[in-house]
Amino acid sequence: MADWTERYRPTTLAEVRGNDKARDALREWADTWEDHREAVILHGAPGIGKTSAAHALANDMEWPTIELNASDTRTKDVIEKVAGEAAKSGTLTAGGAGRRLVIMDEADNIHGNADRGGARAITSLVKEANQPMILIANEFYEMSNGLRSACEDIEFRDVGKRSIVPVLRDVLRQEEIAFDDDALTEIAEMNDGDLRGAIKDLQALAEGRDHLAADDVVTGERDTTEGIFDYLDLLLKEAGPQEALEASYDVDETPDDLINWIEDNMPKEYAGSELTTAYEFLANADRWLGRVRAKQNYSFWRYAGDNMTAGVAAAREGTKGGWTRYGPPSYWSKLGRSKGTRNTRDHIAQQIAAVNGVSMRTARREIMPFLATMTHHCKNRELTVAMAAQYEMDASHVAFVTGSGKDTNKVQSIVEDAEELREEAAVEGSDGAFEGASAGEATPDADAADDTEDDGDDTDDGGQATLGGEPAGDDGEADDGDGSQASDDGDQQSGLSDFM
Amino acid sequence: MASFLMDGGVAVAKMFNAIVSADTLQATLDSVSVLVDECKIHLNDEGLEIRAVDPANVGMVDLTLEAAAFESYETDGGLIGVNLSRLEDIAGMADAGQLVHLELDEETRKLHIAIDGLEYTLALIDPDSIRQEPDLPDLDLAAHVVIEGKDIDRSVTAADMVSDHIALGVDATDELFYVDAEGDTDDVHLELDREDLIDLTPGDAHSLFSLDYLQNMNKAIPKDAEVRMELGDEFPVKMHFDFAEGQGSVTYMLAPRIQSE
Repeated sequence: MADWTERYRPTTLAEVRGNDKARDALREWADTWEDHREAVILHGAPGIGKTSAAHALANDMEWPTIELNASDTRTKDVIEKVAGEAAKSGTLTAGGAGRRLVIMDEADNIHGNADRGGARAITSLVKEANQPMILIANEFYEMSNGLRSACEDIEFRDVGKRSIVPVLRDVLRQEEIAFDDDALTEIAEMNDGDLRGAIKDLQALAEGRDHLAADDVVTGERDTTEGIFDYLDLLLKEAGPQEALEASYDVDETPDDLINWIEDNMPKEYAGSELTTAYEFLANADRWLGRVRAKQNYSFWRYAGDNMTAGVAAAREGTKGGWTRYGPPSYWSKLGRSKGTRNTRDHIAQQIAAVNGVSMRTARREIMPFLATMTHHCKNRELTVAMAAQYEMDASHVAFVTGSGKDTNKVQSIVEDAEELREEAAVEGSDGAFEGASAGEATPDADAADDTEDDGDDTDDGGQATLGGEPAGDDGEADDGDGSQASDDGDQQSGLSDFM
Repeated sequence: MASFLMDGGVAVAKMFNAIVSADTLQATLDSVSVLVDECKIHLNDEGLEIRAVDPANVGMVDLTLEAAAFESYETDGGLIGVNLSRLEDIAGMADAGQLVHLELDEETRKLHIAIDGLEYTLALIDPDSIRQEPDLPDLDLAAHVVIEGKDIDRSVTAADMVSDHIALGVDATDELFYVDAEGDTDDVHLELDREDLIDLTPGDAHSLFSLDYLQNMNKAIPKDAEVRMELGDEFPVKMHFDFAEGQGSVTYMLAPRIQSE
């Protein structure tokens, strides 16, 4: 059973229906390609003939095609290798003068795949290409600005009912199936604008029959996705709980994202006690999302969904009117902006974890708060210097822990002193190494290493006891730490004893 | 379209039972796997045939291996589809000189591979799901050069140090074959005259090629092979060489890079 959308795919541009203007523009682009050598973006809703037009054009121009569509892995690598090579090379039959059409389907959707470098690879490829390229996209504005401005663009519009009916009629004639005109009108209406959808429905209804009557047309409406902004409007302004919940099924966002959208935009509509109640529901939803993460049980999503949609709708007192400017959740941009800070924090935690032999989590949650309090604004200068030396902190790290400004003299001098302290300790340590540099020094070394490891284990269990328990162990190590390898440990030890 | 019909007309192989030396099998697979991950293998009384083009339609390989290259070879003809990297891995398990036994199980559509007691069952791929085989372009290339495999290796390796593309050409007046690679700062140039080459039929030729592809093809070319190279002006290059003591032959074709002004 061949797919009718494939069987009746237009083979030449002249057969492309419903988008005459776009079709002519595409033909014009191809005819003048030698002069402008630009790529073109075909954009418009699904099922209106963009891909068909591209292939029909290739057929008309007798250009062989290379197609990369969403089912291929479209990482930066693959794009550069396949599309890049195809766009820069001549053909096997005609060499450098031979033309080849590179078709990149669903070009707005490339970063949806594993590799974010993909979108950038396409932009640079479009600029370097020596062969005609067609990019096909549903959402023109989901492509980067750089890519859009590097290409021509041709918009495909929805195919009108009046253009769909004749196509369906042709198909049925070729399939030798009799039909009522009303049946075709109905199918065309159901698939407003979507020619491919109409042909698919037609095949589902008519295949195997010899007559298609109006009564036979029984397919339901096609699922469509609802835009998030429309949904927010519905949810926050007028919908009842059930309506809000059901409408959310058509929204193409995961609960994790949806809750951020709702949370960020809710205060623009809600106020006072309704806002309080709505937040309670959002808190419930968030708790369920937490459970989903913890248990990996995605059936909990339904409770999160109930709370964030129906709950929020139920919390509203009355309906709202007017127009509100909703915005995308600030959560992601906050994450982006705090990235540097979080990196600093994680770097410090990693240092602490490595030095003290604890997990990063323990370092972050149970050690860093104490350090922050003890060294607050560098009031206890000696301690702060010791800390900086111990964990090899630079100015930004010291500033992060103490809360003092990074560029202040205070912090700078602490970092310098810490450096000095470390060097001193290193010298002490290496002195010891030279003294002990006779035969048989390896054994105490190994002991020392063992000691540290044991201590590390203890502190892991001990949780918050770390700060107290740690130096004792390290002190012990300092006594026999005169081996050559101990020079590293040397600065740790002096640092920590100062600490106490 | 023509090649599609041709494929449609070839039946899926029913019987195939062969013993071949590991070296020959590895050389065969290596020559094709530098361009594609999957391929169709045509089996007939005279031997096997593989033709494949890489996903970008830039490089192509045409390989034949005569039945005489096998220790034993039996088939009733037809087509099988294989995952080359898998098969290559398996073949790699054999030591040089060992024999590999290949047998097609018609029922399960699997290939049984036996190497000295080691048995491997390889699931075959439906040939229809593999990219169409290309038509062999009919090219009339002016310049012919017969060159040693090691000279290609030298050129490609040197060019790779400076650039990602390489120009191959023949100077008809001076009767020499040359290789040019221009990097951002450094250049590589190599000239081989009649003395250095095994044979030369002069004709003006100059084309630019992707070094990635040439490097991959170079991997499959034996260093001691005589490679017959056909060149044109901004035209594809053809490289032809024999393996398995002359009972196997490979032709590579590579489309030129378009020289941007």
